[in-house]
Amino acid sequence: MFRELMGGMRITMREMLNRPITIQYPEEQRPVPPRHRGRHILHRYDNGLEKCIGCELCAGACPVGCIYVQAAENDPEHPVSPGERYAVRYEINLLRCIYCGYCAEACPTEAITLGPRLDLVDYKRERLVATKDDLLEAWPGFQPLPMAVAKGGGPAASQPTPLGAGSTHDGPAGSAPGLRPPIPGRRGPGPL
Amino acid sequence: MADTAPASELVTLEVDGRSVEVAPGSLVWDACERAGVFVPVYCAHKKLEPVAVCRMCLVEVQGMPKLQPACATRVSPGMVVRTATEQVRKFRDSNLEFLLLNHPLDCPVCDRGGECDLQDFTQRYGPGQSRQSITEKVHFNKAVPLSDKIILDQERCILCWRCVRYYEEITGEREIVLQERGVHTLVDTFEHQPLRSEFQGNLPEICPVGALTHAKYRFRARPWDLRRTASICSHCSYGCSVFVDAREDQVARYASSDNPDVDDSWLCDRGRYSFPELNRKDRVLSPEAATAGGRQVVSYQDALGRAAGQLLRVGSDNGGEAIGVIGSDLMTNEEAFLLQWLARDIIGTPHLGHRLLPAPEISPLDFELGIAEIEECDQVVVLGPLPEQLAPVLTLRLFKAGTKRARKILRVEAPFTVAAIRKQVIGEGRVGVVAAESDREAALKLRTALTGAGRRCEVLTLMERVNSRGCQDLGLLPGWLPGYRRAPSPGMELPDILEAAIAGRIKALLVVNPGPDLEADPRLEAALKGAEVTVVVAAFPGVASRNATVLLPGRTIVEKAGTVTNAEGRVQRVRTAVEPKFAFPSDLKILGDLARAMGGELGAQPLAGPVYDLLARAVPAYRGAQAGLRPRWEATA
Ligand code: SF4
Ligand code: SF4
Ligand code: SF4
Ligand code: SF4
Ligand code: FES
Repeated sequence: MFRELMGGMRITMREMLNRPITIQYPEEQRPVPPRHRGRHILHRYDNGLEKCIGCELCAGACPVGCIYVQAAENDPEHPVSPGERYAVRYEINLLRCIYCGYCAEACPTEAITLGPRLDLVDYKRERLVATKDDLLEAWPGFQPLPMAVAKGGGPAASQPTPLGAGSTHDGPAGSAPGLRPPIPGRRGPGPL
Repeated sequence: MADTAPASELVTLEVDGRSVEVAPGSLVWDACERAGVFVPVYCAHKKLEPVAVCRMCLVEVQGMPKLQPACATRVSPGMVVRTATEQVRKFRDSNLEFLLLNHPLDCPVCDRGGECDLQDFTQRYGPGQSRQSITEKVHFNKAVPLSDKIILDQERCILCWRCVRYYEEITGEREIVLQERGVHTLVDTFEHQPLRSEFQGNLPEICPVGALTHAKYRFRARPWDLRRTASICSHCSYGCSVFVDAREDQVARYASSDNPDVDDSWLCDRGRYSFPELNRKDRVLSPEAATAGGRQVVSYQDALGRAAGQLLRVGSDNGGEAIGVIGSDLMTNEEAFLLQWLARDIIGTPHLGHRLLPAPEISPLDFELGIAEIEECDQVVVLGPLPEQLAPVLTLRLFKAGTKRARKILRVEAPFTVAAIRKQVIGEGRVGVVAAESDREAALKLRTALTGAGRRCEVLTLMERVNSRGCQDLGLLPGWLPGYRRAPSPGMELPDILEAAIAGRIKALLVVNPGPDLEADPRLEAALKGAEVTVVVAAFPGVASRNATVLLPGRTIVEKAGTVTNAEGRVQRVRTAVEPKFAFPSDLKILGDLARAMGGELGAQPLAGPVYDLLARAVPAYRGAQAGLRPRWEATA
């Protein structure tokens, strides 16, 4: 019994001499692993066309049914995506999403992936239904990804496009997905 | 097939070790189906003759050296069919690989994705992988509009000929052809002319893949978004069965559902593409009332109280005869029955109607001929183009009777003089007369002449709208009580009610679900303005809703449940396919609540089922008729 107690105390003593691992969230943030499944991102091709073709396979695969897609026909003069079809509405109810990644798995064009964004809180439920505006990568001027650059040196920042699985195909190198920067002076995240 | 042949004549054969009996002349495909063995088919279709071009259905037949097409091989006694052998498996796999050779594989953007036979069979029987790279594919035209209704993707076509055969065998119009031969074969319209048929909407349904698609359904939804409800097409009195496929609160499409007695699985474009009207955004969304301070949105109870109070006041001041009740042939049987009861027993007026066309003499015997019985008549006389304009699917039935059953179809031109028609109706046997309601007189005269000459002759009268027949059966007419009994005191017909309201003799109007023809009638506005009290139940804003003193929100046909009766008298169910955008009671309950507020007691819940029981008590022919059968009218007429 005494031996066990000593063993436990030894660990306690050792840890007391180590540096604390707590950080001052949200001023300080940890880098997220590259394959982290956070809020979704809708990607674009290099030429700016949307990858999403509005096929609704993600909505079909989603186990909780939190994706809503309404497709429409591309205007050949001003296409939104390559081919005939694009998503005119794309919404994800982030309150229902279980971040399983099946949508990314089902997507035939790798248009949707789960990104690093994890601080999904708000005062209004409606604001946690992410729309296409929220999810789509900005074009052409990509915004830097706030969370990845916040800390530096972490695995997230060392990746050119820290988006999670399947991210290697998208965007110009070095660009970050188009998350809106947090609203200055506000604790917690801004709107999606 | 097998069900009608006597047991001694059945052919016994073996399918995958199971012994089955089918009628002689059946196909191996039918035998497999009977044995519960699924055989994949592309070119075969239950309503089309076999051609055996796709080779998907090949099965092993003992004693035959090569695989045989199940869709075209007739059964013979003692035949041994095997569908689960290695040879069949291999063949299906290679056949699918062949079909997919130049197939674009664009399922994600294909409207058929999720309900495509090519997807399904490839998943079930096909190669898991392609040996060919996607860049090697030969490309054809995509998204070619064949008309404003149909879009063709030539790459996706698997050349099953179904569309070509449909035009040959079902409509006789031959608008689609296969051009070129061999690997260059392409499906297209004849000489690139746009399709003109009235039955194009059936093409995407018979096409086993996504080559032919609906323009109106293009990219609107995926099969897994849709909620399917079996109902009745709301467009005409023919009463075709449909599936209403709804995405949330919108009707995304109408799909045909096979009712061999009525539509034979085909729909006309007018009916099939009539659904956008039901998705209209401008609706009457809340009860409103004209108050001292102008028109206001009021609560349901308030509106009901006002409506009842105003009608009662006019009734006590001027008598029930000062109130006119106007329904429409868009109402269900239950609503029509309740409305006529409300008018006669609660309001106490004989002035009620549902249509602008007067109906002085009506009889259930004007509709004796059943739709499917057209095929049984040796001769069918069609009076003018009107019947086929009223109910386009009738054309397909007539074509079928004329070709497959070799019946004589006589299309006669106006004026319909009995003597002239009589000369053309020669020979013996049963005669069917198909007429529009406006030519009813001529049809009946012809019937009298022919039955007088010893021929069996029946008439089918086609009416204007979905429940014209039901409203008539249930006495939503001034001179007639439910079940074609004469009313003791005949009231005014609908046009006269309008005139009387304009003249100030009718002081109050109750208008329920006004139909488009009434809305378009210039007398309606003047009548509503002339009446002191106008209680309106309407789904869409219009003349009636604008001039109402009390307005209650109504429902469209896809938002309510009940029954409707088609022209031949078949009582069929309509079901709630989409929920309305408001939370107010159904039209039926509004009528029930209004009756109660006016002191009437229905003696049943104002719901479709209980009200049907009530009306079946009043109209014995409707008893037990809910199962989609034609009531027997002879007994009551
Ligand atoms: S991550 Fe899972 S739950 Fe969330 S949207 Fe995608 S499929 Fe649905
Ligand atoms: S994100 Fe992908 S799966 Fe979802 S609709 Fe767009 S293309 Fe289809
Ligand atoms: S026709 Fe079928 S297999 Fe071909 S693209 Fe469309 S859904 Fe896919
Ligand atoms: S268009 Fe469709 S129905 Fe016509 S041949 Fe091609 S696959 Fe068959
Ligand atoms: S289904 Fe038999 S050959 Fe096409």
